[in-house]
Amino acid sequence: MRRTAVVVACLVVAACSGTNVHSAGRRMIVLGIDGMDPVFLETHWNSLPNLNKLRQTGSFQRLATTVPPQSPVAWSSVITGMDPGGHGIFDFVHRTAATRMPISSMAETMPPKRTLNIGPYALPLEGGSVRTSRAGTAFWRVLSDHGIRTEVIRMPANYPPEIGEWESVSGMGTPDMEGSSGTFTFFTDDPAEKRTTIDGGRINRVAVERGRTLLRIRGPQNSLRRDQAVTYAQLTAYVDPSEDAIRVDGSGRDILLKQGEWSDWVPLEFSLIPGIQKVYGMVRLYVQHVHPYLRIYVSPVNIDPTNPALPISSPISYSSALAKNLGRFYTQGIAEDTAAYRAGIFNQTEFLEQSHKVLNDSLRMYHQKLADFSDGLFFYYFSSVDQNAHMLWGKHDEELLEIYRAIDGAVGEAMAKAGSDTALLVLSDHGFARFDRAVHLNAWLRQEGFLTLDNPSNASDEELFTHVDWTKTQAYGLGLNGLYLNLEFREPGGVVTLPEKQIVLDDIAKKLLEFRDPATGQPVVSKVYFPETAFQGRNLQNAPDLFVGYRRGYRASWQTTLGAVPKTLVEDNTAAWIGDHCMASDEVPGVLLSNRKIRAGQPQLVDIPVTILSEFGVAKPQNMIGQTVF
Amino acid sequence: MDWLNLALNAVLRWYFLVFSRAPNLGLVVISVLTGVAMLLVLQRVSDPVRIRLAKRKVQAHLLELRMFQDEPRVIWGAQKALLGANLRYMALMLRPALWMTVPLFLLMIRLEAVYGRSPLPVGQETVVTMSMRTADSPPLALIPVEGITVETPPVRAVALRQVSWRIRPQAAVSGELAFNVGNATVKKRIESGYPQRLVPGLRTSSWWGTLWYPDEPRIGVKDVEWIDIDYPGASVTMLGMHAQWLIWFLAISMLSALALKKRFGVVL
Repeated sequence: MRRTAVVVACLVVAACSGTNVHSAGRRMIVLGIDGMDPVFLETHWNSLPNLNKLRQTGSFQRLATTVPPQSPVAWSSVITGMDPGGHGIFDFVHRTAATRMPISSMAETMPPKRTLNIGPYALPLEGGSVRTSRAGTAFWRVLSDHGIRTEVIRMPANYPPEIGEWESVSGMGTPDMEGSSGTFTFFTDDPAEKRTTIDGGRINRVAVERGRTLLRIRGPQNSLRRDQAVTYAQLTAYVDPSEDAIRVDGSGRDILLKQGEWSDWVPLEFSLIPGIQKVYGMVRLYVQHVHPYLRIYVSPVNIDPTNPALPISSPISYSSALAKNLGRFYTQGIAEDTAAYRAGIFNQTEFLEQSHKVLNDSLRMYHQKLADFSDGLFFYYFSSVDQNAHMLWGKHDEELLEIYRAIDGAVGEAMAKAGSDTALLVLSDHGFARFDRAVHLNAWLRQEGFLTLDNPSNASDEELFTHVDWTKTQAYGLGLNGLYLNLEFREPGGVVTLPEKQIVLDDIAKKLLEFRDPATGQPVVSKVYFPETAFQGRNLQNAPDLFVGYRRGYRASWQTTLGAVPKTLVEDNTAAWIGDHCMASDEVPGVLLSNRKIRAGQPQLVDIPVTILSEFGVAKPQNMIGQTVF
Repeated sequence: MDWLNLALNAVLRWYFLVFSRAPNLGLVVISVLTGVAMLLVLQRVSDPVRIRLAKRKVQAHLLELRMFQDEPRVIWGAQKALLGANLRYMALMLRPALWMTVPLFLLMIRLEAVYGRSPLPVGQETVVTMSMRTADSPPLALIPVEGITVETPPVRAVALRQVSWRIRPQAAVSGELAFNVGNATVKKRIESGYPQRLVPGLRTSSWWGTLWYPDEPRIGVKDVEWIDIDYPGASVTMLGMHAQWLIWFLAISMLSALALKKRFGVVL
């Protein structure tokens, strides 16, 4: 009986146990606000009291951005303290020289090399991996090596996150479950909707029978099958015969949604081997219309942080710990669904509602993590200003200001937390400008005789250089600012010889600077950059041969980014994406605010990690080229 | 069945009222008592002599397996004998197990209501579903109750003969939802907010159904098959570990039975 009493006593006492960890030391808070523009701030100081106070009591400066001024490039410089020639990220997309085909610049998935084939399955005998394409050492690794606690939440270009003695969640570059940057699905029985695929999404036709329809949601390819068949999860939607509301079953809990409502996160399972192996994703549903036609938007399938199918945090279990405390959260790198807005699936109100959900999700995590922050470095990244500015810039200032106000609130909280003894940095990677005119760079190259089609009548929006005659082509444009030579020994059948390389590039550069918009007579390009002179680093194997720095208002067309050669040179940008920053770098500087005096005359992004290290008394590694801004 | 449910529910409700401030302690006590009850059953209906013999045979054949590892014929024979002895042991335990099945089932069904479901968290939406006998149901309405917001009209899943509402507790509530079904009214208990307490599961109109869902009386309205509220699951935290109540219940009752078996003269 005594033994039993002891067991029972242990059980009762243990039910009330708990642990606490305390630590103390130097502190620094860094907020990364993607796309925060200095001119917008200067125009709206009165509406942004916390940022204004930070400017008045501390410092505010323009922050020189990278060449090219693109987020993955810029944030990679913040992470490593190196210019693009050092970290090796030059655009959202790179190209494989051997095929001239675009590839993701940020990460590469390596399947397992050895597998055991059993029937339709290919069971891996070793782990596959996801590898970042970014070179260099992250500043938080340096801090961690010096015993400084760091928390880096949603840093862009940090997928897959390096695993170590720090806490981090990956940001921009984190894919959805399909492996894309985000592919939504739109289910409808509306006969007026004829499209099936659109950029960043797909439209699935459904049939509603006896008030019921199936929503088949695409997941990842089955890496355990030899044929890599695509996996699907299925939800069932029951449409009320008269009310504008539906019930959705199949995710473990039934969901009721009225027309115009969003669901919370809906967990999904994708079976790899039935009954044995599955992976977990999650989506949000939006019921756009119920009667007379059903129109349901399903978000890209995000990696479920409670049980991540791919690494999204360091340590790996950190994402599930966060989700346990805060609930599920967006894990997709760029979660604001600009693609649905551009495709006309969302109207502006719907896009703003969705992007505010992303922001609120982010703020929820921010409040919690900032409250928990006690010592070391706390870095937090916000994507909302950038993504909303792309859709609102120059035409919808009041709506954009709402986003800035939310960020201003977050800055105010950080200022309160920092007090006078903690350094606070607020920075953006670039500013913004209108994107009024879309430049078809490959069409211009064709006009100038640097690019030739197999038949002139094949000039079109067809992507991936389908009709380019490579035996007569010296240069081609790909990505947002990149221009590549068709170089011998590098591109297959390359026609530009090595001795000719600089001559051809100089010729292209000269003509680009003379390039006038046929409609307005205005210059289109304000600067061109050669990687050998623009960068100190020599990690240039993926670098374009020339970067095109467009004038404000101009940007490479969407067709250019994926290798199309349309007929016209420049055309009006009529898409919903009206703001951009992929221009000449000095046209779109970012901002740097601090509660300390910034002494650097012309601070630049590579100075940020050096400043952080310096704040903790850590010497910068040799490959970091910046200086402290204080 | 209704009378049995009424009586058992009354006893269990009184018990959990006693432990309302320390529900985990209530689970520990009832698990220990269950362990003791299992020993009492074993004491009365098991045959300790034959059980001991079967156990010794199992031990002997295990020893044989270890001693004659180089003799395949002996090993083969020992394995067959071991299987036989195990089956004999299980057969001897079958009778007490059968005696325990019904009371344990009745107990566990009720424990599920206390430890298996959480009251609805305040502010968090959930779905109430009513299953109808026919697709052409009479006019339906969910009457709002104080502290519970009804957020949707009745949403019909015609193919399933079900109607659902989305509700959201705005405060801690321990009350009843009332549904107008044609001219009749049917009610369903609802629990929201702190603390953890008895949370009735599905309410059914079926006599057999009340065996599985005994927490509320049968529904008397002919058009309605059942009503269910989608409550979140609950877990019990002890020793810093979260686990379903059933894990703790089985572990504690087994440990109690093992600790006390000699005192009851029981062979396990």
